Amino acid sequence: MRRNRRSSHIPASIIQGQEANHEPISASLSENEASLRSIYRNCFDAVFRPFSIGGKKRAQLVYIEGLSNVEEINDSVLAPLIRKNATDLCGIEEIIEKKISASSVRKVETIADCVASLSCGNPILLVEQESYALSLGLAKWKQRSIEEPSAEVVLRGPREGFIETLQTNTSLLRRIVKSPALKMEKVTVGIYTQTNIVVAYIEGLADQTLINEVKNRIQRIKIDAVLDSGYIEEMIEDSPGTLFPRVLSTERPDVACANLLEGRVIILVEGTPFSLIVPTTFFTLLQSNEDYYQRFTTSAAIRWLRYFFTMISLFLPSFYVAILTFHAEMVPTELLISIATSREAVPFPALVEALTMELTFEALREAGLRLPKQVGAAISIVGALVIGQAAVAAGLVSTPMVMVVAITGISSFMIPHYALGFSIRLLRFPLVLLAGTLGLLGIMIGMIAIVVHLCSLRSFGVPYLTPVAPLKSRELKDVLIRAPWWAMRTRPHLTGKYDKYRQSPGQQPGPTGNRD
Amino acid sequence: MIEKGKISSLHLAMMMYPTILGTAVLVLPGMMAKYAKNDLWLSSILASLAGFLTVYIASRLHRLFPKETIIQYSQRILGTFAGKTLGFIYLFFYVHLTGIITREYADFIISMFLPLTPISVVITSMLLVAAMAVWGGVEVVGRTAVVFFPVFTIPLVFFVILVYTDLNPRNLLPVMEHGIIPVIKGALMPETWFSEFFLMSFFLPMLTDSEKGMKWGMASVTGVALTMVLINLVTLFLLGQEITTFTYPLMEVARYISIADFFENLQSVVMMLWVLGAFVKISVFFYAVALGTGQWLNLSDYRPLVLPLGFLVFLFSLWDLPNLSVLAHFQEKVGPYYLTSIQIVIPLLLLLIAVVRRRSRKAKEADRR
Repeated sequence: MRRNRRSSHIPASIIQGQEANHEPISASLSENEASLRSIYRNCFDAVFRPFSIGGKKRAQLVYIEGLSNVEEINDSVLAPLIRKNATDLCGIEEIIEKKISASSVRKVETIADCVASLSCGNPILLVEQESYALSLGLAKWKQRSIEEPSAEVVLRGPREGFIETLQTNTSLLRRIVKSPALKMEKVTVGIYTQTNIVVAYIEGLADQTLINEVKNRIQRIKIDAVLDSGYIEEMIEDSPGTLFPRVLSTERPDVACANLLEGRVIILVEGTPFSLIVPTTFFTLLQSNEDYYQRFTTSAAIRWLRYFFTMISLFLPSFYVAILTFHAEMVPTELLISIATSREAVPFPALVEALTMELTFEALREAGLRLPKQVGAAISIVGALVIGQAAVAAGLVSTPMVMVVAITGISSFMIPHYALGFSIRLLRFPLVLLAGTLGLLGIMIGMIAIVVHLCSLRSFGVPYLTPVAPLKSRELKDVLIRAPWWAMRTRPHLTGKYDKYRQSPGQQPGPTGNRD
Repeated sequence: MIEKGKISSLHLAMMMYPTILGTAVLVLPGMMAKYAKNDLWLSSILASLAGFLTVYIASRLHRLFPKETIIQYSQRILGTFAGKTLGFIYLFFYVHLTGIITREYADFIISMFLPLTPISVVITSMLLVAAMAVWGGVEVVGRTAVVFFPVFTIPLVFFVILVYTDLNPRNLLPVMEHGIIPVIKGALMPETWFSEFFLMSFFLPMLTDSEKGMKWGMASVTGVALTMVLINLVTLFLLGQEITTFTYPLMEVARYISIADFFENLQSVVMMLWVLGAFVKISVFFYAVALGTGQWLNLSDYRPLVLPLGFLVFLFSLWDLPNLSVLAHFQEKVGPYYLTSIQIVIPLLLLLIAVVRRRSRKAKEADRR
């Protein structure tokens, strides 16, 4: 019922336009041309090139300007077909076999397929008295070159990033995972954009029910356009009303492949470099791919640093407010005196001070993000004035508060996936309010509420706090520390249960004399 | 079954541990020392026997009726009317007890940290988060307990390390100066805490590995007993005979800690322990109440009951307890009989009746053949 009502919101003309074209291609060339021309009326970029094969058989080449490789069309299609000795060919099979030197040629039977092929950039060849057309694989358009992703920078590790072109992205995956067990299935979403979406997984590692669930959820989407994977992310989430991201997005093929090998599913969306990884758990969002490229001792230490500062970025402002407002006796006397001296001139209570400073910091960050590069210097000067010495000198805020805001700001940048950073930043504000009203008790209550909420979340059926709750002691090796690669024998339990072992045992290196 | 979620028996053990210790860590040493003096650690060992007995009874009953809680199998054992009545008594008991626990929690917060905050605010905020967890189902209750387990246990260990140099083991002597009687008297109160292990029976039907339920239950009792002994010894070694003068001896231990003139006044850590423990305890009790009520009324879902029951618990927490001394009197004089009879004696009788009935039925069947 509900779905029907929803689909009736789509303008009738689109539905008609799509359905009317499912008629097969007729044997009459002029009729085919007429229907294509009516579909592409008022489209100056649609090129119709009539010619005759060997001067006898009439034919029509159609393509969209800028989407197809014009030199290739001239050299390998038009030139050989127009030549005189092409006359002795009669069937379309013979034309494909002997004359057209393009590598991929496909027969299409309906007008709708012709349109689909044209939109992808593949020219269509219509021949007189033939009831099918040829789609020539000569698509070529301008694309960005492969660059290092700017949002996920690493010191060590591959520097390639996904780009906006789907084919390039799939090839990046295929270049890393060469096994044919890497499967990629195509789904098209978007009534106007007809965006191609590829669901990639490794057969035998990913759970079949998970794959089906992902495909089902994507196929259910009825939307007019998909401009970024964010559209898909929001449409396939488990429960929408939460701050925490349940789908991980990445620009890096190496991250995508690592997740493929743990039995997860990757969703690549045409037109955006951001691919989606499902299912995603809380602790994946706190892990960077570089953790796995640096030596494990360093990585484990850095992980703990990251956990610690994630807590700091969530709790520090509220802790400061709670201590100053309710529990001043907990601060060592000398520290308390120095804080009190600097707060002497400040007219606001700690809660108001913290809220204004945090809001200002968020404003600065957002402004800095959207700023044209030429104005960048201005904002850093203004920023230093607003959160800094000038604000303190004006007697509006105290120095310790500036420190607190600065430390909180720095630590929120330590979260490797900024989607989680957003949720932490937002949760800070209710926590500060709770701390200002109930003190430490308020912080505890807020923290318990956050944990309860996290415990009740799921991402594609996987509990969000796996492997800590529910406890999977085997997988803690990748959360509490980063186990050395020779000890990472098993894959994560919930996603990679089909092929349990990653590698053979006993690979711990050591001096040759000491082995066995 | 109302609850579709499943937890493992390890989760159950990690859930029961703070459920018992949550309130015990603070108030128990003082109460026990009142009777057992410096033998209080012996009292807690003695009391743990009650815990083992309770776990044994709960798991035996579970083995007889693997898919049901006491609300349901009481009807099978005693017949519908008597069973429903007993079920009501249990529900009333647990609502009452949850109210008392909530009050105990709030009293500590008010008297130590937020003297000007109305007690209803403290109670309501806690009940709201507990209701959130109960709303999420057994999986959420279990998982939050697992997350908080290390946060609850690690600070306890740190306390011991930080006060280590000031401990005076001589306070232990003389052992059993006045014979065994004070020890037994001192064991009466912790025994009520151990009897709360009967709550397990509400969770046993939802275990993924129910055959391990008893093993992990016993492990949890052992853990609780060991922790109690540890806390008792630390407070005894540090405070000596003066333990009895404090309502919250662990609070004194925290106050005592001072490292490098900077790590001092660690009372906030005690409060953190207390809030976390109380949260797990209240949410587990609350869950048992909500699930039990749903089963008692033969509903298909217990969620609509969560908020009304929460309000009931809120009322109970304010109702018959005007102040802390009445609460202490209740825990001392009424608690041992009230809690023991409902959580140990009645289940034991139920078990006996069930076993005897089953035997006689089997004997009859054998006769018929």
